[in-house]
Amino acid sequence: MLQEIIEVLISGITSGSIYAMMALGMALVYGVTKVFNFAYGSFYTMGGYLAYVVYSSGLGHLGVFLITLPVLFAAGWWTEKLAIKPLRKRDDWEMLAVMVTLGLALFLDNLHQVIFGPFKKSIPALVEGQTHVGTFVFSNHDVTILVAALLSMLFFVLFLNKSYIGMSVRAVAQNPIGAQIVGVANNRIFAYTFALSAVLVGTAGVLLVPKYYVHPFGGWDILVKAWVITAFGGMGSLKGSFYAAFILGIVEAFVGWHFGLTWTIFAWFTVLLGTLIIRPQGLFGTWG
Amino acid sequence: MRQDLKILIGFYSVLAFWPLFFHNNPGIMHILILCLLWGVVAASWDLIMGFAGIFTFGQVAFYVIGGYGSAILTRTFGISPWLGILAAGGITAIIGILVGLPCLRLKGSYVALVTFAVHMILEPFLKSEPGRAIGTGGPQGILDIPPLTFFEYTYNSMEPVPWFYTVFIISFISLFIIYKIIHSNWGLAFLTIRDSEVFARSIGVNDFKYKLIVFAISAFITGMIGAVYAHYVGMMSHRLLGLDFFLILMVMLVLGGMGRFPGAVLGAFIAVFISEELRIFETYRNVIFGAMVILLVIFMPQGIAGFLFSDNKLKSTRNLMTLMNKKLSKL
Repeated sequence: MLQEIIEVLISGITSGSIYAMMALGMALVYGVTKVFNFAYGSFYTMGGYLAYVVYSSGLGHLGVFLITLPVLFAAGWWTEKLAIKPLRKRDDWEMLAVMVTLGLALFLDNLHQVIFGPFKKSIPALVEGQTHVGTFVFSNHDVTILVAALLSMLFFVLFLNKSYIGMSVRAVAQNPIGAQIVGVANNRIFAYTFALSAVLVGTAGVLLVPKYYVHPFGGWDILVKAWVITAFGGMGSLKGSFYAAFILGIVEAFVGWHFGLTWTIFAWFTVLLGTLIIRPQGLFGTWG
Repeated sequence: MRQDLKILIGFYSVLAFWPLFFHNNPGIMHILILCLLWGVVAASWDLIMGFAGIFTFGQVAFYVIGGYGSAILTRTFGISPWLGILAAGGITAIIGILVGLPCLRLKGSYVALVTFAVHMILEPFLKSEPGRAIGTGGPQGILDIPPLTFFEYTYNSMEPVPWFYTVFIISFISLFIIYKIIHSNWGLAFLTIRDSEVFARSIGVNDFKYKLIVFAISAFITGMIGAVYAHYVGMMSHRLLGLDFFLILMVMLVLGGMGRFPGAVLGAFIAVFISEELRIFETYRNVIFGAMVILLVIFMPQGIAGFLFSDNKLKSTRNLMTLMNKKLSKL
């Protein structure tokens, strides 16, 4: 029994690390550009399909990482430049941005379906097999996921705190006008942020392909979960999203284990409603 | 009479004659009936999103709830489908209020999240055990919904003309109600909430009350139309919750122009027309639709209604061309 509980806990932590990547990307985009990117799930799927394409053309796992990251970056960048930036000057840009990203999401999903067909695709894991530690069995791929996710986030946090662009991103999130006054190119930062968030969620997609396969409409679950996590953790707070991701990953694992997998989505929904009713600013959030 | 009502009446007058030409073509009649129904759904989405400024993505969910609601009521309790339709509207309105409650204090995009989550939750619910217990038929849906009857006549889908005119009347009445609401004090309240919630509150407009009202009305109408649809096609399935319908509804809104009545209705007819024409592309159809939404939002956010209502049509066409040139040259 204890063994099972620990296994569920570990599974939850692994999911949590991936969720943390996804939630960070979403929190970043919303915090900096104030846009809800409905196409977020589609970028996840895009990451997965890119991995599939690169791997299938024989370039191996290294090729996957070398190629998918820049492509995802470009996808995010151009989305912001072409689809969001033209809308900013209008009063109702928030609503229009939501509609445009929703349109983009549906466009991308259907494009994926046309190109790759409606059936799931997969690629082999980076490190196959399992390791045994005492009575526990770990899938090597899960370990890879955990390590990769944590490393990515470490890198990301260092980037935000130490690099010029990272600091500019934080500046724009805190005070867009103030950032402009000190010379930050807001428009470019918006594009960077979108691009970074696409890389984060797309990488999550790449990491999860061997485990969960990739399929054209798989992104919507991811979108909703990332949202719930950022709402629960606090929309403006990256730290909040980070903790919330692990908490909710573990909760999800336990709900799935105890009640069955079909109940997990109701659990997510309950968390969402609960957060919004009881503490709308989330755990660490600053309201707004 | 105001211009928007004139456009609606003019459009419906033209529509009234179409069965004369197409009554032998069941395919076209079916599409027209769907257009009439969906035009109302689009208009009620416009009411809550374009006029009251609430980003909801729950319209499709309300439509499906209404359809299932009436289907379950008429099958389980044997009540008349007409009653079922009204009751379904009522049930959906109550659910609309329940959905609206948590959204009252939330800012725009959060409401989108909650309503979208409702949409996403509905599908697993319909397939689940509790869902089946109330009669949703699980994954297969409901296949034998009683048809409408009018005195001794039983509507059936083999004879589209009576359906057409019935739906024609129902949709016109619904749209007229929406028109009346838009031009009433409630409509003004919605606009104030949309344009500046804080200011609205400061002049005494109770935004909580009006947000709940608009949720209730838009859910009622959409649910009712969903119920009519259920009795028309005779079956309900959770597949309606797939994003296909959602996408086409979005195209309708963006094409028609948000916040301008009866743009959504016109958008509905044009969108369905385009969708049918695009059928030759089969799987590419949705890709094209998605691209259309993106392009429309960027280049023509006011939609067709924006064009129709602009004072100087020539000037606004020229403006549109200039805008497109500017955008393209910046690339």
